Amino acid sequence: MSHQYVAVGWNRQKRIYDGVLALGAAIYIGLFVGLGAAFFPSATAETLLIRALGTLSFFLLHVILSIGPLCRLNRAFLPLLYNRRHLGVTMFVVALAHGIFSVVQFHGFGDVNPMLSLLTSNTRFDSFSQFPFQQLGLLALLILFLMASTSHDFWLKNLTPETWKRLHMSVYVAYALLVAHVTLGALQTLKSAWWAALLLAGLLWISGLHIAAGMRERRIDRQVTRAAQDGFIDVCEAESIPDQRATVVPVGGERVAIFRNGNRISALSNVCRHQNGPLGEGRIIDGCVTCPWHGYQYLPESGASPPPFTEKVPTYQTRVVAGRVWLHPCAMAPGTPVAPSIVHGA
Amino acid sequence: MTQALLIVAGLYLSLGAVFGVLFVWRGIAKVDAQAQGAGLGFRLLVLPGSVALWPILFKLWAARRGAE
Repeated sequence: MSHQYVAVGWNRQKRIYDGVLALGAAIYIGLFVGLGAAFFPSATAETLLIRALGTLSFFLLHVILSIGPLCRLNRAFLPLLYNRRHLGVTMFVVALAHGIFSVVQFHGFGDVNPMLSLLTSNTRFDSFSQFPFQQLGLLALLILFLMASTSHDFWLKNLTPETWKRLHMSVYVAYALLVAHVTLGALQTLKSAWWAALLLAGLLWISGLHIAAGMRERRIDRQVTRAAQDGFIDVCEAESIPDQRATVVPVGGERVAIFRNGNRISALSNVCRHQNGPLGEGRIIDGCVTCPWHGYQYLPESGASPPPFTEKVPTYQTRVVAGRVWLHPCAMAPGTPVAPSIVHGA
Repeated sequence: MTQALLIVAGLYLSLGAVFGVLFVWRGIAKVDAQAQGAGLGFRLLVLPGSVALWPILFKLWAARRGAE
């Protein structure tokens, strides 16, 4: 959330996050190559480096894909999500290094253009053990490049949040391609039950987490609200909303975050304009609803970001009757001011 | 066939490279007011995506020029 774009909005947390990430990556590569050379003296340094980079990027992709569902299941993981895009770009850079070293190693010393060699030297698409797995890796790398190169907020705004989100959901296509790349490539060469078990464990972990998080979301969406009068519906006890926080209720296929700020009740769309973050899981800081993902802020009474920022989310009308919050399910246009309802005796 | 595809990809990216440099130098501030006066680091960060997605940005830039 900035008035003028900067390359990276550095702060102390991001520096620590990136420092730990870079150090961890360097240690992993050093250990992989060092231990590999000790235990497998016949393996060349180039081969060990290619495998170190490949396994590291694949591991980082697992971490990246785990962060979203983990945060849905437990708020303690939110700090990991805060700087996920740096993790994504790092993963892409490591995967790119893996790809470049592989192309140089396996296609760079002939008299055919290396890219042409990569795409045409093996066309055995009908074979499991001889499948041209490198082409799958190339496709995945292209998807990861598109994601990494459009990770800045400039792209989010100018591609529109909906298109940007769709583009970045293609990470699951990249993941599927990479599972196939590893299955049809490294596993066919190494014939190792350990590596196969690791790959399967990763696949089960990612699938299991997404299913668990999806089931939790379904439970929220199935919450029953009672019908009422004048178009308003009875949603919850005002006192059940923690002060400076929200209760999220599903209304007409949308989620609405009902915030309590002292004795004032306001309702906003649960979807942050930045990356569709869950506003209702954030809290009110300095009088503003603050998204738990990246800190985007909105005034609870209008759904508009405080000047000079321009983001806006839809607002909803509320009323408090006998200590219960009633909500009109029709969303107002983003940024429409709505007077907060007052909880008497709070 | 593959060679032809590589040539097309090379042409696309060459055009994208020329457009991308022009875009991050001049066009970006026309398309997005938040990019006005932005530093070199930001412009370099946006360059790879501008090269890859140049038709989209070209359309945005042309629309903005048409509106002026």
